Amino acid sequence: MTDVARGALGSRKQAGAVSRKELGAAAILIALAVLGFALSSELPRGTLRSVGAGMLPQALSVLLGLCAIPILLGALRGAGEPGELTFSLRGPALVLSATALFALTIKSSHFEGWSTPELGLVVAGPLAIVIGGYASPEARLRPLVTLALFLTPFSLVLFGDLLNLPIPIMPRYVQEVLLAGWSYRGALRLAAALMAGAGVLVLLVGRRVSAKVPTATKGG
Amino acid sequence: MFDLIGNLGLGLAVAFSLKNLVLCLTGCLVGTLVGILPGVGPIATISMLLPITFGLDPVGALIMLAGIYYGAQYGGSTTAILVNIPGEATAVVTTLDGHQMARRGRAGIALGIAAIGSFIAGTFATLLIAALAKPLTSLALVFGPAEYFSLMVMGLVFAVVLAHGSILKAIAMILFGILLSTVGIDLETGEARMTLGMDFLADGIDFAVLAMGVFGVAEILRNLDNVETRDVVKQSIGRLLPGREEMRQSAAPILRGTLIGSILGILPGNGAVLGPFAAYTLEKKIARDPSRFGKGAIEGVAGPESANNAGAQTSFIPLLTLGIPPNAVMALMVGAMTIHGIVPGPLVMTNSPDLFWGMIASMWIGNLMLLVINLPMIGLWVKLLKVPYQLMFPAILMFCSIGIFSINSEPVQVLLIGLFGFAGYILAKFGFEPAPMLLGFVLGRLMEENFRRALLVSRGDMATFVDSPISAGLLLIAAIMLIVVLLPSFRRGREDVFAE
Repeated sequence: MTDVARGALGSRKQAGAVSRKELGAAAILIALAVLGFALSSELPRGTLRSVGAGMLPQALSVLLGLCAIPILLGALRGAGEPGELTFSLRGPALVLSATALFALTIKSSHFEGWSTPELGLVVAGPLAIVIGGYASPEARLRPLVTLALFLTPFSLVLFGDLLNLPIPIMPRYVQEVLLAGWSYRGALRLAAALMAGAGVLVLLVGRRVSAKVPTATKGG
Repeated sequence: MFDLIGNLGLGLAVAFSLKNLVLCLTGCLVGTLVGILPGVGPIATISMLLPITFGLDPVGALIMLAGIYYGAQYGGSTTAILVNIPGEATAVVTTLDGHQMARRGRAGIALGIAAIGSFIAGTFATLLIAALAKPLTSLALVFGPAEYFSLMVMGLVFAVVLAHGSILKAIAMILFGILLSTVGIDLETGEARMTLGMDFLADGIDFAVLAMGVFGVAEILRNLDNVETRDVVKQSIGRLLPGREEMRQSAAPILRGTLIGSILGILPGNGAVLGPFAAYTLEKKIARDPSRFGKGAIEGVAGPESANNAGAQTSFIPLLTLGIPPNAVMALMVGAMTIHGIVPGPLVMTNSPDLFWGMIASMWIGNLMLLVINLPMIGLWVKLLKVPYQLMFPAILMFCSIGIFSINSEPVQVLLIGLFGFAGYILAKFGFEPAPMLLGFVLGRLMEENFRRALLVSRGDMATFVDSPISAGLLLIAAIMLIVVLLPSFRRGREDVFAE
């Protein structure tokens, strides 16, 4: 789809104007080349007879930098695809936050001097879905919460129960205090059942609300 | 010849066990599902499902993962025909005539001919893999490090030629991919390279993390930018089975598509993507009345659909015989094989014949399953297409997070898919495609290893790469391709192919 569109755009070249997109592309390559070279400059290059650890990374960085030159020259001549560069902040910011929150809550991570609490999938999953979901401007809270309440138990059962993968289920202290005598599987199934139950509840309440206002849930 | 039949017999026996049949079916269904849903591709799906295969035996795991890959080719065309959005990159050309057929109330015929064409292509490709496996494997045994290095160089050059958009940017992305593959502890000297002193980078960047980042998360970010309108065909789908006249019209295009797709699929460097384009261009060129194309010509569906399925399957050949993954999906297969302690390459066939032939036989069974199950299930797939994207992508995001976390219980990996996703999104904004980078990353480690080994053997003499005729030939092909592709006249022709 995008290929077709790009092919059509590519043939309409603007003459004269400096292409910001190409300029940016060259800048990115130069930055990557400098970064690569700087990070590998300490490593021994070795000789052809015994190639050192640094030879390939350094050579690649140089080549990467060389690639930037024709792109830069082209940009100054106004070559390349004209194209408006638009960035949205909302999508990347919220999607990144969602993965970061998932990473920080699923299991306790230890840093120097502090560590994050282990909250398990019961918290991490819904967080990722709801926060990530808001990356779309059309996001609404109720459908996202409903989705989270069904998908989290589904993943718990699929990954934890059926596939035996060790995934932290819930906050550790809840499991230790409230479900002291329970096995891993038992606790997992209980948590899944509770969440799915809550999901059904939200769905039923939502249906009653939408029955009163028939157009409320009709969306994209 | 008798060998071939005997081997396929062994394969069928393995693939027909109940467990493997169920896994094959699961793979095909999941594959069709992700193929149908635009914005979810086989790369992200297979990396999400890698942890699931921990619990399976290697044969079953590979049968399921392979099913996802070719199932996705099937599903992608369904979306292309019904919604005018390619569910997969290989289904782009199917939108041209397939959707027009659907507009004219012939959606069922388009879907039917796509399925039949795919099945014929799949059957042919299965036989081709079985026939080529032995000779190519024996060829692989005479390959030394220099030949392997040259072969991979040629593969990467092909990847440049076949990439969309700017050639220079494709080259840059391949170099960047190789650079990323050097992160981590150097296997020969034990020195940490570019790890910034971080422990989790010592083993290098995990391939699944990179793939899921640039294909799963970055894809979400890109999709959020362009709001798509899905206009699912409202006309009735109509009868599914093509009539005699339609079969007669499509028979030759199916055969031509199968042949083109099979040949391009074998090329290292993701030739499978080019197959449908080439098949469509050919059909249009030789048609008596080319003006019918774009208005619902059945040949424009039959040819490309056969080509993409054939290519998807023959791309297993370089992996199974030479141990070189020609595209990102095959690279994930390497990951799956490595998890189970199998080193992909010429030895797979002799060391574990049941795995090798079982997988090949399962491809044919899978294609048959797809033909039988998919046509009646089209109503269900159409319903799925109505799930709005704003509910689909949070689900993908969570599954990616859980999938990558469960590979080695490392929360940092989840953070990394977010960061790689963001990087992939920015790169795409500046016209850099993620696919060549991933291929560079995959082949990078193998290339460095073979490069260093070849120089060690030749005592630092670079001439070793041109001394052997095979290696010299491969490098020569690579050089010619690169020169041709940089020539202005060819450049224009290449743009035309992709604009078609």
